[in-house]
Amino acid sequence: MNNWERLVWNQREALLAGLQVTIEVCLISFAAAIVVGMALCLVRMYVKPLRAPAIVLIEFFRATPILVQLLWVNYVWPELFGWPNTFFAAACTALAVQSSGYLAETFRAGIEAIPKGHREAAYSVGMSHALTFRRIVLPQVLLSSAPSIVNQFTVIVKSSTLVSVITVQDLMFQSQKIVNIAYEPIEILTATAALYIGFIFIVSFAGKLLADSLRRSYGIGSRHGT
Amino acid sequence: MSDSLREILDVGVFWEYRAILLQGLGINFLVFFGATALALSLGLGAALLRVSRFRPLRALGTLHVEIFRNAPDYVMIVWVHFVLPLLIGTLLHTRLELNPFASGVIALGLVYSGYFAETFRAGIEAVPSGHVEAARSLGMGEQLVLWRIVLPQVVRRMLPESINVFISLFKATTIVSLIAVPDLMYRVSMITQQEMRPLPLYTGAALVYFAIVLVAGTALRAFAERWRAKVI
Repeated sequence: MNNWERLVWNQREALLAGLQVTIEVCLISFAAAIVVGMALCLVRMYVKPLRAPAIVLIEFFRATPILVQLLWVNYVWPELFGWPNTFFAAACTALAVQSSGYLAETFRAGIEAIPKGHREAAYSVGMSHALTFRRIVLPQVLLSSAPSIVNQFTVIVKSSTLVSVITVQDLMFQSQKIVNIAYEPIEILTATAALYIGFIFIVSFAGKLLADSLRRSYGIGSRHGT
Repeated sequence: MSDSLREILDVGVFWEYRAILLQGLGINFLVFFGATALALSLGLGAALLRVSRFRPLRALGTLHVEIFRNAPDYVMIVWVHFVLPLLIGTLLHTRLELNPFASGVIALGLVYSGYFAETFRAGIEAVPSGHVEAARSLGMGEQLVLWRIVLPQVVRRMLPESINVFISLFKATTIVSLIAVPDLMYRVSMITQQEMRPLPLYTGAALVYFAIVLVAGTALRAFAERWRAKVI
């Protein structure tokens, strides 16, 4: 028990700082992934000339391992586009890029599942395409894909452990730093693993509750079953 | 910009090291097959615990699933590599060390057993209870019902659904490079340090994985659809 106090409890400030960085990286890349994913999905579905490039991008983002993507974004993008210029930005970009591919496909499934009559009814009362999308399509898509969106967030949290590889000082980075100083990995690595597992468990549990309550209040998205 | 683009398209560097890189890719596949075998057997075990009639066994199965499904791959690999040998060594009063390859296989096998357990359980619960009852009424024992009636149906049903898990597992094998298993990604990083040309090397690695996952995923999906259509 003494070891736990010395190696884990006394290092809580470093670990909490790391956890904060982890949460920042995850939230930023999650928000970016939703926006980019929706954009990719819309381009794929409605912009004919750009359809093929969008499909290639989505498939490339989905099919490449996150570690490869992280190193690729970190080393290749700055040369190619002059951006991202910090490790933190590179980490967020890589995580966002990966998830945007998955979310684009989720959104597409959601849009395709909406009965054609909804859109036709909106057009027939004089709504424009943009208004129909914003008022009729988008709310239904977000509701019906809420479980997948939450699931994607847990994927981001899991992948975010890898950003320590490019020296972003997240929870994993801090705990490995302590291990390298103390040379006693048992307590600190076990605590880190427990923190991550607990955090992801809570996120997915809360997400499930949220998705269920949305479904109950709006009665949409029941095609996902119980 | 155009200079960088030319640098990326210069696959000569990647091609120059093809023998070493191909060996690395072979190690990716070895890790994948080892971890798949472990994950499938542990997953089946956990799924059988979860449908057991005894509550403590069910709780044990649920615990297994919740821990490993929520564990990040990298954290698990580091934990298995650095902590597990020490814990087992303390229990057995010996000094134990895992080589990185074994750690990678064990860690990925554990993590993905959580996902496979859920797929197996869904498959087991999807077998109509009439099948089980019919087998029991013929006098089959519980073991026999499981092996002859339930599991053959489960395997056929779960294959299409677990393709995504197989693909995730293959992608996760790149993470073992971080504990110095000499897989493709590890070798690419080493060559990059020597050649100082990250652009063509990392892009080449990304394209190789992209091609493999895309081709294998498409082929597996087509195969699974045909198999399912034939059987069920």
